[in-house]
Amino acid sequence: MLEIIIYSAIIGIIGGGCIAAGAARMFHAPEIQSMGAFRTLGELNACNGDPIAHFSFGLGFFFSSAASAVAAGSLSQDVLHRIVPNWSAAALLVKNKKVEETLHNPRKMMVAGAIVGGVLVVFLNTLSSIIPEKLSLIASEVLTPATTWLLNPVMPAIFWLAAIDAGKSTGLWGSILGGISALVTGNAVPGIVLGILIGKSAEENGYKSKVVQILIAIVVVMFIAIAYFRGFFDQFML
Amino acid sequence: MGNKKSFWDKMDAFLMKDSAFIVLIMGAAAAIFAGTYMYINLGTGAFNDINIVAMLRDGLDGGDYAAAAGFAAGFLIARILEGPLVGLLDIGGSLQTGVGIGLPALFLSMGWNLPFANFFTALITGAILGLIIGAVIMFIRKVVPDGVAVGGTSVMMGAGNATGRYLAPLIIVAAAQYNVYTGIGAILGAAIFYKWGKEMTGGAILGAMILGGIFL
Repeated sequence: MLEIIIYSAIIGIIGGGCIAAGAARMFHAPEIQSMGAFRTLGELNACNGDPIAHFSFGLGFFFSSAASAVAAGSLSQDVLHRIVPNWSAAALLVKNKKVEETLHNPRKMMVAGAIVGGVLVVFLNTLSSIIPEKLSLIASEVLTPATTWLLNPVMPAIFWLAAIDAGKSTGLWGSILGGISALVTGNAVPGIVLGILIGKSAEENGYKSKVVQILIAIVVVMFIAIAYFRGFFDQFML
Repeated sequence: MGNKKSFWDKMDAFLMKDSAFIVLIMGAAAAIFAGTYMYINLGTGAFNDINIVAMLRDGLDGGDYAAAAGFAAGFLIARILEGPLVGLLDIGGSLQTGVGIGLPALFLSMGWNLPFANFFTALITGAILGLIIGAVIMFIRKVVPDGVAVGGTSVMMGAGNATGRYLAPLIIVAAAQYNVYTGIGAILGAAIFYKWGKEMTGGAILGAMILGGIFL
């Protein structure tokens, strides 16, 4: 238990601080490189510097993250994506309503993010680890079949349809690479994801573009390597 | 006091620089990679959604990491190429899925266990991965001319978000097949969470756990 608390505190402080500072830099992008997400930027702007709005927005995701942590030990992407930036913003805005001096300042966000992150990650991980063994057994008995179905065949179908709906070239690349990926790795999703990436880039920049050529080269080498190491080519030896 | 103020001013100036971005991404990657270490060894702490962590779980249980590594690599490559072009690196795809799920799956599939030897090797490995990603991003930012774009991330994100929505119905079905009490619990939990406007997935699992815990 002590191990979990110490590790969680270290992870939360470092991760929370760095990500909150990266989020503050979003308000200065694209002049300087930032990290976060466009949706996070939109949501932070939507809360309009109101500490209560930032706090309650984060709180909604806090409950779903806590449920996910208890059920499967996965804290969800929202912890770093949404809760840390919004709660850090809320904490700073209580004292000073000017977003330029608080939310947009990487140093202040870093300090607030480290505190929020430390407390949050420790809380979620302790919560997840103190639940009785019987309950976590039930959770895994229910989750294992559900996530197995999700991995195959639900996700391949969703990604495949998304590729087809996004246009002829993503549909074509997605279908071919998805099929190859299903043959070689047993799951079509990696191939479809890469197919969407190549198809869309080719559509926007043309096949003469360096970026597209490099992408295709990486993908071809990757699949040949995976096929070789998984013994795919052995199946052709009669 | 005057001395202290100038320190904070220097800190403010530093945090707006390119080099600060590399420091920040190193910290973020270290924390996320160490979170995955915690998940593997202590059963909790992965910074990702249930459906994506499930891919890593699949590999840990069955030894086949291809799905996790391949899926996450796609997001990692896309986000690293896109990040410097728009000035905003998406931490969900690049760090939480790429560094948190894909690269650990890749390392484990190659039988390279050193990063997971203990908490500090995990932190250091994560920091090194962050350094590499940060350097690549800064390099792309310097060399790529404006107007070149990597497409497809919005399609991938859309499909990724759609996937999460499928989990709640699948959990209710799985709970119903496992046991009558977990089934009823999942139905009630999902219905209540839906009514409240919360994620149905969490409600379904919690409902199954609560009723299952009482009656089993």
